[in-house]
Amino acid sequence: MTAPVRLDGHTAGALGAGQVAAAPARRASFDRPILWRILSVALVLGVWEIAGQIPINFAFPPFSEVFAAFLRMMADGSLPAAYAETLKPLVIGVVISTVLGVGLGVAMGLSRLSEWLVAPVFIVLQAAPMAALVPLLTFVYGIGLLSKTLAVILLALPVIALNGYKAIRNANPTLVAMCKSFLGTRRQQIVKVIIPDATPVIFAGLRLGVAAGFIGVMLAELLITPTGIGDLITYHRSVADYAEMYAAVASIVVLSALTLAALQAFEVRVLRPEKRGS
Amino acid sequence: MLNSLSLLRRFAGGTLVAAALALPSAASADTIRIAFGDIATVESLHFLAAVERAKEKGVDIEMTFFKSEDVAAQAVVSGDADVGVGTPYALIQKVKAPIRVFLQLSTLRFYPIVNAEAYKTWKDLDGQEVAVHARGSGTEAIMKLMAEREGIKYSNISYVPGAEVRAGALLQGNVKASIVDSPNRNMLMEKAPGKFIVLPLGDVKASDEALYANTKFLEEHQAAVDILVESILQTWRDVQANPDVVVEWREKYGLLADIPDDMAAEIKPYFKDLSDGKALPLNGGGAAAAKDDIAFYSLAGQIEGDPATLDVATFWDVGPVDRAVAKLGAQ
Repeated sequence: MTAPVRLDGHTAGALGAGQVAAAPARRASFDRPILWRILSVALVLGVWEIAGQIPINFAFPPFSEVFAAFLRMMADGSLPAAYAETLKPLVIGVVISTVLGVGLGVAMGLSRLSEWLVAPVFIVLQAAPMAALVPLLTFVYGIGLLSKTLAVILLALPVIALNGYKAIRNANPTLVAMCKSFLGTRRQQIVKVIIPDATPVIFAGLRLGVAAGFIGVMLAELLITPTGIGDLITYHRSVADYAEMYAAVASIVVLSALTLAALQAFEVRVLRPEKRGS
Repeated sequence: MLNSLSLLRRFAGGTLVAAALALPSAASADTIRIAFGDIATVESLHFLAAVERAKEKGVDIEMTFFKSEDVAAQAVVSGDADVGVGTPYALIQKVKAPIRVFLQLSTLRFYPIVNAEAYKTWKDLDGQEVAVHARGSGTEAIMKLMAEREGIKYSNISYVPGAEVRAGALLQGNVKASIVDSPNRNMLMEKAPGKFIVLPLGDVKASDEALYANTKFLEEHQAAVDILVESILQTWRDVQANPDVVVEWREKYGLLADIPDDMAAEIKPYFKDLSDGKALPLNGGGAAAAKDDIAFYSLAGQIEGDPATLDVATFWDVGPVDRAVAKLGAQ
């Protein structure tokens, strides 16, 4: 959790050039995790390239071919068009899950009654193997945007709601007691103490919810009807254009990873300043 | 502790030896592992019967049913299965997988169907939307081929996987023009007589399902492959002569014993339809089918290059079919 902090400009600035130079060379390299990250990615891509060149399977292209396919698909517009399609259910689903999930999470955290009513549903949903449930959505909601958005919500909502619930329930009791001793009303307790204290954990839940949303949208596009990135994967597999297929798969993985990294950076910078530069 | 360790080691050693002994036998001359790219249904009953008949002639056959043709093809390419069912033309050409098609099992049988209130002929579809199975699928290729022949252009091709889903959408009126298979065409004609028109399809010939295998397997297991091919051709000819025989085979070999009665009732009409339409390839396809497939799958976007210059030998091994037809006689 603390690692990405070191990436941000403040930390780099705080670490004076002189300090780094003074430290032993080995220490210096450990102080720059970005080097290690680039090395780690390069290592994985190198292994991929070698495995593809052997090849370990007829359907496993080397990284260089996949990257070339990625550039081709960007140039001919098929990849951007696919993302425009895939992001629709993803964004709608995540927004709905965020509003509903945070609302329900806070309600469950504050009231035992809503906890009893709602929490079991989310706990069951979170434990359920969604790949088995997603195709069933088509029986009721058809094969359009609605089904796909629901698939995203099914995966994202339980994570967001349960994190919100735990965040509220585990709000610092010392702070709550302090509020009481200052004769704060219940309303002040919730708005001024509990929710601000729970915000970092609620936001962490949002981040996990977005990750689950990515899983949901891919399940929907592969299991309901192929559209967007799911269509690119299915189509290129069916015509044996494996480089294009891997490019589509890798692009969604990278997009998901970058989105989560950005959310994490935001979380650390804005919501958890105490974690910075530790 | 020491005892249990050495016991474990001995056990592990024994397992390894057993596995090493078991491996070659799994792919011995008499065993064919077939990867089927779909679940077994009424429509594959004659194939299942042919497999049983090949077994009677001493070929051991193991069937595995996969979720899709792609997965079955991967199983064959990676050596987990010997023979696959499907039309892996793209795989053969683009990744130069050492596999060859060696027997045509069925040809594409699809029916372009339109809502009679909206359209009457192919020309009416100019500038209109049609629904097909998936991008790069046979149904899309047929619709594109017909548009080319009729000199029309669709405004859009939408993708709705599953003939039963498209048939349902036609019934509900969400889709006005689509293409479905024969059971769904019959269903539409029964449920809404006069509401739909089946558009005429010229001469569209291409394999729907075919058998393929690694070239090495075809060389090394020629005898077993020949028995399988002969069994299938003989079975197809028996079905052509008397489609009701499939029901007898189902009982005799205990095939698809668990299907419900309403599905079992579809067996006779389905095979009678095949027989009446002379839809079963009785001579296994061979070079002529290969040429048709190359032309068709080029149009479908599965394979690249000028169909006229593509070599049959790149995609097909016609040896097994030629030998079986020589033995059984051409029909």
